[in-house]
Amino acid sequence: MTDHPRPRRRGQGELEALVLAALREAQAPETAGGVQERLGGDLAYTTVITILTRLLEKGAVSRERAGRSFTWTAAADQAGLAARKMRKVLDAESDREAVLASFVTGLGPADERLLRELLGQAHGPGDD
Amino acid sequence: MGVFVFLPLVLPLTAWPIARLAEQHLHPRTATRLLTGVAAVMALCSTVSLALVMVVGTAQLPGNPLPDGWSDPQVREAVPYDEVAGKAAIPALCAVLVACVRALWRHGRVRRRAQRALAGLPDTSVAVLPDRVPYAYALPGGRRDRVVVTTALLERLESAERRALFAHERAHLTARHHRFLLTVRLAALANPFLRPLRTAVAYTAERWADEEAAREVGSRRVVARAIGKAALVSRGTPVPTLAGLAGPGPVPRRVAALLGPAPAARAWPSVFRSVFTSVGLAAWAAAAGTAVSAMSSANSAVTMFFVLQAAAPL
Repeated sequence: MTDHPRPRRRGQGELEALVLAALREAQAPETAGGVQERLGGDLAYTTVITILTRLLEKGAVSRERAGRSFTWTAAADQAGLAARKMRKVLDAESDREAVLASFVTGLGPADERLLRELLGQAHGPGDD
Repeated sequence: MGVFVFLPLVLPLTAWPIARLAEQHLHPRTATRLLTGVAAVMALCSTVSLALVMVVGTAQLPGNPLPDGWSDPQVREAVPYDEVAGKAAIPALCAVLVACVRALWRHGRVRRRAQRALAGLPDTSVAVLPDRVPYAYALPGGRRDRVVVTTALLERLESAERRALFAHERAHLTARHHRFLLTVRLAALANPFLRPLRTAVAYTAERWADEEAAREVGSRRVVARAIGKAALVSRGTPVPTLAGLAGPGPVPRRVAALLGPAPAARAWPSVFRSVFTSVGLAAWAAAAGTAVSAMSSANSAVTMFFVLQAAAPL
């Protein structure tokens, strides 16, 4: 209905790939309007929404409510997004050690020397 | 009773030698449980006695809601320097309560935030995050316990070492190590003299998970190598305070322990049997100190309670 006439009719698959690529390009969750802008205003807003919804059904993207609208994230980037969020959590907490038992803690210079010696031993003969 | 009321406040000092001995001579599982238990009991006694000193010392301050009977001369006799001590106990007790509530709240907040960060990922027991910073965590709670590890760390480990890493983190989760850590953290806030116990438990919990991982992977050397490599690649993380002063830090000690023989599960009696060695003597002294401190803490708390009950018709 609000679709403007396009110079060339593109297939559904092509449009989905375009939108997904635009979403991946955005490093953070993006609104539908933002996706439209990234595509150079080539597609109508409603078209973008339709394609995003179709991608959501396929599990290729996910969305999160942000105020009155949604922000969208490419599914392949979910892990990257989680990594960024997790880093933010870890950086914000000065004494996170108390909550999350970390595999290792930091090393001083003397510790590092000692550790390298010990590792030399661990690689030595009788290795299992 | 007199000065005994204040004993629970300073007696946690006697737990220091036992913390060191347990760290070195006990199986890490036993050490973690024992030290956490000692810390919890001592923190509780210390807080109770602080509360009683405050009640008796300040019951006659104008405008306080406590019954005057609580600070009868007979009761006040039990607390020397009652006014000074009582007044000093108010901010001390408030500080303890505020610090503990804050610690609990932050504990919940970090866990919630970390869960939320992983919300979009598939519901698997291991979450691998693409990140250049190498780290690995055991994240308890939510719908399921999860091991969080970054690609940067996994890339640097061989497959056997990765298995060791996962086994280590899973051991944290199955043994609910976060509860031990939270307990000693609160204890250290309730009485700063208990801080060495917190450090000791943080170390023995890691050792416990190391030993579990070694058992599962079937090689102590592989676990040692995994820890060593992980520590060397994540050098950039801040060094915990005082680690440089206290001899070798926790990581080299863990690696050295893994390169040595496996700890016996029942090392406790053998320490006590060797009465005539210095270790045996120290063990006995430390055990006696801890027992006395726990008993006198409990004793003075109970006595104070009865004195107050007698003074105030409840």
